Amino acid sequence: MSVATEPRPRSPLSPGRVSSGDARRAVVIVALLAFVLFAIPTLLSVFWLKVLTGAAIYSIVALGLGILMGRVGLVSLGQIAVLALGAWVAAKLFFDTGLPFPIVLLLSGLITMVLGTFVGLPALRLGGLYLALITLMMAGAITVVIAATDFPNGGPGFLAHVESSIGGGDQVRRPAIAETDPAYFRYTVIVTALMFLVALWHVRSKAGRAWEAIRQSEPAALAAGVNMTLYKLWAFALASFLTGVAGALLAANVGDLFNYQFPTSQNITLLAVVLMGGIYSLWGAVIAGLLFRYLPELLDSWNLPADLLTILFGIGVLQVLLTAPAGIVEQFPKDMARLGRAIGRLVGIGRSR
Amino acid sequence: MPSWDEFQPFIVTGLALGGVYALSGVGLVVLYRATGVLNLAFGAVGAMGALIAWELINNAGWDDYPAYLMCILFGGVVTLAYGLLFGPPLANRDPLVKATASLGLALILLGTMSWIWSDKARSMVLPTSNENFMVSDVLVNYTQVIGFAFGVVVTFATAAFLRYTGLGTAMRALANDREITATLGVPVRRVEAAAWLGSGLLAGVAGLLLSNLVGLDATTLTFLVISSLAAALIARLQSLVVTLVAGIVVGLVNALITPILSISEYRDMTPFVLAIVALLWLSRHREISISRSA
Amino acid sequence: MIEVSDLRVRFGGVTPIDGMTVTFPAGTCGLIGPNGAGKTTFFNVLSGFVKPAGGSVTAFGEDLLRMADFRRARWGLRRTFQTEQAIEKLSLYDNVALVHEHSGQGRATRDEDVLGALGFVGLEQDPNTKVGTLGARDRRLVEVARAVVGKPRVVLLDEPAAGLPDEETQHMGSVIRRIPEHMGALVILVDHDMSLVSACCEVTAVLDFGKLIASGPTEEVLRDEQVMRAYLGTEEAA
Repeated sequence: MSVATEPRPRSPLSPGRVSSGDARRAVVIVALLAFVLFAIPTLLSVFWLKVLTGAAIYSIVALGLGILMGRVGLVSLGQIAVLALGAWVAAKLFFDTGLPFPIVLLLSGLITMVLGTFVGLPALRLGGLYLALITLMMAGAITVVIAATDFPNGGPGFLAHVESSIGGGDQVRRPAIAETDPAYFRYTVIVTALMFLVALWHVRSKAGRAWEAIRQSEPAALAAGVNMTLYKLWAFALASFLTGVAGALLAANVGDLFNYQFPTSQNITLLAVVLMGGIYSLWGAVIAGLLFRYLPELLDSWNLPADLLTILFGIGVLQVLLTAPAGIVEQFPKDMARLGRAIGRLVGIGRSR
Repeated sequence: MPSWDEFQPFIVTGLALGGVYALSGVGLVVLYRATGVLNLAFGAVGAMGALIAWELINNAGWDDYPAYLMCILFGGVVTLAYGLLFGPPLANRDPLVKATASLGLALILLGTMSWIWSDKARSMVLPTSNENFMVSDVLVNYTQVIGFAFGVVVTFATAAFLRYTGLGTAMRALANDREITATLGVPVRRVEAAAWLGSGLLAGVAGLLLSNLVGLDATTLTFLVISSLAAALIARLQSLVVTLVAGIVVGLVNALITPILSISEYRDMTPFVLAIVALLWLSRHREISISRSA
Repeated sequence: MIEVSDLRVRFGGVTPIDGMTVTFPAGTCGLIGPNGAGKTTFFNVLSGFVKPAGGSVTAFGEDLLRMADFRRARWGLRRTFQTEQAIEKLSLYDNVALVHEHSGQGRATRDEDVLGALGFVGLEQDPNTKVGTLGARDRRLVEVARAVVGKPRVVLLDEPAAGLPDEETQHMGSVIRRIPEHMGALVILVDHDMSLVSACCEVTAVLDFGKLIASGPTEEVLRDEQVMRAYLGTEEAA
């Protein structure tokens, strides 16, 4: 197939190998992880460690949503409901089975993934706005159901719930090696890092390429042979899996889900922090997790109202959407693309080679 | 299974709420058709208007009706301001982006409401809620009548407005194709501003009525927009009459489930389930088009 | 060989293709016609974006319209777009690899095929360069590289040189000319640049108002009176 007379481009790095830039980044990340795992527990009180554990958990959720939005261009307004679902599934598994903690994490992720895909499948044929709205509706429905059935806490039957006025029933257990709060913090950070690796691997793979094509131009993706429904579903599945794992971590972090809230408004707040953290880089999810869980507590400790943050997040959403280049959360708007190409042509012709 | 007698009062509340959902739905649909923005902050705007009215009546000594007027005006002004500020820069973006931006507004309002008024239980009673009459064995108050009546009146008045007035025709033209309408010499920005204002005023009215029919709580009122949204979606964001019928159905089904104790806990799911079913049914042939240009 | 038989497309009250019947034999075939003649719509039918109201398209003996849209790429249908669609955030390599891995080709030959395609169109940069940083000429070449990688059977080129200056257009022409011989694919070229069309295509078909009005050897078609009238209107050609 190659034409002998044409000059050959230099061989690129094959996808499996790591570039020097990657190696440098990996070193930085490992150093950072080491700091977080070993230094931070000694610097902070148990209360703040629990808060940071929460931040790590929500960064996993943000990671899922960020991939949906930044890589595929799909918006889900229901990831917090999926988180609640994951927590429910995990609590049930914790109480009804004696499975080891990591297995429960994995199973929660997988079951939530199946449920999320099941929900996503009929909705994927709809356009971006309608998909977002369906996820909002599904989130609302899930929230109502969970509010009515409550979380499993060691009771009998399928719902595994024991009624009580102050949340009696058992606590969700933690892994044997990580029962104290500082230990659980470390455990969660490691699981979080693993989840980020899973996401990174996806983004660099065939799926990531297909997602990028879908995000920028559905016609081009189709013309390249990408099975759109399959890849959109895959993105949904990945986001649901990640969120399910996060739900399990959450259940064990909180212990007793009785008073834990998953209000509908948090779905919107999550969207805001993911947008603000940045949907193109995986680091954005870390920032989102901190914004979501750490900053409110910080403000609270300074006696400032956390409501200021909600206002800030609202402003953040508007700012990001206004200044972001066309391509963020976009489907393929023809006028925008034509404009972009016209500008590209001008710039291209103007460039000297 | 409850008896007919037990259902009756819920028919009344259902119709009243349904009427308000319908008028909100109309507000959502008209704005969407004219500007491409599905204003998800619709409920939050109404909620804040209602809270402002409450504040004026209870802490500033205002009379009832001027305070209500302020609520409605607030709805119009805030929505119009948002539309003037954020409409033009986002005008060429995908409807998804525009709707997401409106979530930003919703967050700002939610945060502001929570900050100023926190979550304390409040109530605001419209004078019409104290006047009632009997229909067969059921007590009906005038606020409920207004809720239902406004729903019907607003739907048909808006439909007539769109069809028979110059401004309404301009809005329909915009809905069809923004670019062409602009080249025809229609003052696009002014027509859009009218749509924003009208929609905002409706948000204020809805907030006022819902604060009575449901309760004066920021979060609840904000997310009641979802019921109106369900009605608008069932109407495919197009037909006003379908929005009316859908709104009433959503209100009725929701209310009628209340006395059925076995599933009563799940009744808040009604708008969600109805919207999901409608959306999935309508999409079965991939016919849904959300783009404003044909 | 591609045989189009009585193809009809209707939407929104317009009939962009109105009983189109034509055969594209082999090699590089031109498809020309005034604006609105239906050329891009025809490509969209082939790609699967538009469902025809009637008629058939048989490519190399297979009923093309029966296949699901994304499966046609696997079968060997490739195309470029009028407004160029190279994926900006992906590198040159990834853009072409995207097509390769979705067309049913094995992982083993990917490197060789992708680099071969990039070399074929004359792109010499580091394949890891992100396409978004490149100019119009290179972006259009990436699109063509995507269209020829692997084992294409039919390559649809929709104004591949639009907006490019003469020198680049000539380069594009030389690339296009070599596709049938080196890749074994049938090429249909849509363009308004008659010098490009006559340089690349042995035969050309002409569409006007969704119908075929002429087809045959390119030189003859371009001199045909009917064709000139279609482009220039009913006034006497100057």
